[in-house]
Amino acid sequence: MMLDLPEQLINFFDYIFFGFAIAAILSYIILAIISAFETVNYMKKNSFVNYTEILSSSISPSISIIAPAYNESLNIVENVRSLLSNHYVNYDVIIINDGSKDDTLEKLITAYDLVKVDYLINNQVATKPLRKGVFKSTNPAFEKLIVVDKENGGKADALNLGLNISTNKYVACIDVDCLLLEDSLQKMIKPFLEATNHKVIAAGGVIRIANSCIIKDGKLLDINFPKNRIVRGQILEYLRAFLLGRMAWSKLNGLLVISGAFGLFDKKIALEVGGYDTKTVGEDMEIIVRMRRHMEEKKVKYRVAYIPDPLCWTEAPDNYKIFISQRNRWTRGTIETLKKHKKIGFNPKYNSLGILSYPYWFLFERLAPILEVLGLFYFTLLIVTNNVVWDYAILFLIVAYLFTVLFSIITIIAEELTYHQYTKRGMGIQLIKTAFTEPILNHPFILYAAIKGNFDYYFNKSIKWGEMTRKGMSNN
Amino acid sequence: MLELLQNSVEALNNSHPIIQFCAYLSLLFILIIILLLVYLKNLRDRLRIKGRIEATYKKKYESDLIEYLYAGDDKNISLHQQKIIDYFKKNAENRLKRKLIIATFLKLKNEISGETSDAIQDLYYQTGLINSATSKLKSKKWDAVARAIRELTLFEIKEAHDEIILLINHPKKEVRNEIQKYLVKLFRFDGLKFLDVLENPLSEWDQIQLLEILNKFNNLEVPDMNKWLRSNNNSVLSFTLKLAKIYNQFGVKDEIIALFNHPNIDIRIEAINVVAHLGIYEAVAILKEDYFTRSLEEQIAFFKMMEEMAMPDDIPFIREHIEHDNFFIRISVMKTMNLITVDDDNTFKVNTAATDFTIDKDLTIAS
Repeated sequence: MMLDLPEQLINFFDYIFFGFAIAAILSYIILAIISAFETVNYMKKNSFVNYTEILSSSISPSISIIAPAYNESLNIVENVRSLLSNHYVNYDVIIINDGSKDDTLEKLITAYDLVKVDYLINNQVATKPLRKGVFKSTNPAFEKLIVVDKENGGKADALNLGLNISTNKYVACIDVDCLLLEDSLQKMIKPFLEATNHKVIAAGGVIRIANSCIIKDGKLLDINFPKNRIVRGQILEYLRAFLLGRMAWSKLNGLLVISGAFGLFDKKIALEVGGYDTKTVGEDMEIIVRMRRHMEEKKVKYRVAYIPDPLCWTEAPDNYKIFISQRNRWTRGTIETLKKHKKIGFNPKYNSLGILSYPYWFLFERLAPILEVLGLFYFTLLIVTNNVVWDYAILFLIVAYLFTVLFSIITIIAEELTYHQYTKRGMGIQLIKTAFTEPILNHPFILYAAIKGNFDYYFNKSIKWGEMTRKGMSNN
Repeated sequence: MLELLQNSVEALNNSHPIIQFCAYLSLLFILIIILLLVYLKNLRDRLRIKGRIEATYKKKYESDLIEYLYAGDDKNISLHQQKIIDYFKKNAENRLKRKLIIATFLKLKNEISGETSDAIQDLYYQTGLINSATSKLKSKKWDAVARAIRELTLFEIKEAHDEIILLINHPKKEVRNEIQKYLVKLFRFDGLKFLDVLENPLSEWDQIQLLEILNKFNNLEVPDMNKWLRSNNNSVLSFTLKLAKIYNQFGVKDEIIALFNHPNIDIRIEAINVVAHLGIYEAVAILKEDYFTRSLEEQIAFFKMMEEMAMPDDIPFIREHIEHDNFFIRISVMKTMNLITVDDDNTFKVNTAATDFTIDKDLTIAS
């Protein structure tokens, strides 16, 4: 069947999709080049840093690690032990038991000799009320630990209570099941202390995937490359994002997101903006955008810092169901944040935030999956109407595929030249194989999750966080 | 095959420019991918080999160094020692090997002390490694300069002082920081004279590092800080306030009190914290006098100070703030009232027993 689709219409769509693809490729290349320069610069500068001096200093600033826990009974004792073993001198750990239905609290009470204490809480941000109260250990070895039991209100609500409880100047908001490396806090605090002509409002580090790695007593003993293809794809995806993406955004002072798994904040600014938004599922991105917006409106020179060192290891979804659920949530979080702060988009009043970061996120994060699906529909229409120029269609797909592979290989080289974590024999080949298979095995599911996220956002408002089942990194 | 290729090229040349563009782009990507894969394989191999070479040489240099240290008498260099010196000299011509030799020397130098440590320092001179470091001080590359200064610091080369001090206002902060560490590590408090001429800010990070270096030395004579407390450089003020606090410098109290009126709020707050730590009672009256004109942060710092320094005469003033809007001021007021009335007339207890007394305006008592 050959239907006469107006030639102008075909041309219009052809140029839209072609133009978008070229713009995406160019933006990735530019970001990669900036990242490369910035990484070299960082490595050079960092080779002069002695982190041990700040470790033992009694005047090093105080940090609270805030870790919400919900039904984490399986690994909570190990996870808290890991958090308590950080080498930084001046910190405490605040575990917020967010209305767990299992025996998370009881396990903590038993393992760490906790007793209920009177504690004055500065209610600067409204949260769900306490349930059983605040607990501290009778054992001096665990004096840094504070456990708070509250009614369930979600991750953002739990983090807000942590902000209220903390008496320290800086707060590190983390996922309780993350493995923080022992020197992570001094590396994260460095940009805050180094700044002299601007204010650092938040800092984020690199998150690495710990599936199949050997972890014992809260320490990373051996790095392995997992067999699971979904996890392998995510390893490459994380490397791309952290090594070639965020480093460039950091240089451009355009970071819009700090991973919820591990971020350090200036508590005063976080409280000034009202803490985490409990109405969004993308609270980690939303608070950064709000803090940046706040600083822009106050006309104060500021930065959101980024540390390219691997500081935090986390468990990634290892099956498509949970993987899709996670990406669905990320999509909804992005939509909610961009919508809530649409005022800053394309607005020169907000400097690079308004004219660079927001438009980039809007085009290449928010619209990209929609355009991709529209492209697929359009392609199907062309097939049905027998209007496909096959040479062009096939070459277009080949270019897109080859660019993805090329970009992943550049990422692997960047990893080798910088942190060189996957050192074992055979891992190089596995990484390369993943670069070739990931666009086929993982990308369709990411696209599906993004579209489902859009659908759920507009038509299924009741969905909130979605499921994330942890196996526990210590069991690997 | 050739014909097929020719036909394809011909077809491509006759096709739409976008198709041509995509085809050439694909070929370019394929070519780059192949090249990068070869490079990656080579890189991984090289990194592995480099690791092995480093381990081998490290072991060799360690044993050579130990051999050198125990091969001669105290006064003269033996023939065998000279051979080892020549060997190190020759190896130091290679960048990687020089790096390994220096690392080996430093590792052992840090593990031992006394004559053996001095012998390693002598070896640093004899192998000419010092010349390579001092010549780098003139390098145009900032990282080479910083690395050289670090090396000279670790080998405690005081003779390089005059050359290094010329770089004190170097445009790169990493270089400045290495110089500051050199000065303080080798010349203790005397090294802090750079504060007199420092034009750039000394970051909080740098300050902590310098204080930690000073902290490692005992019985140091603390220099006069008055001049630094009048500095136009706010970071110098901030650093000096920390020094005054750590080394309990009551002698500079007038200069510190003068900073209560400094234009920078952070300096004013730091000054209040220091007088609180030093227990300078005359500061209480001064701060009370213009308390209401001060910022909230200063008021919080003032009440924090009062937790340690309030006297019974201050009770009426403190009591005025018992229902202050700010959480931290209320907490400080409560603590202070408790402390100063507990042995006196139990005023606070009487007050808290009153029916209209509230402390939980926007705070929760978690119990």
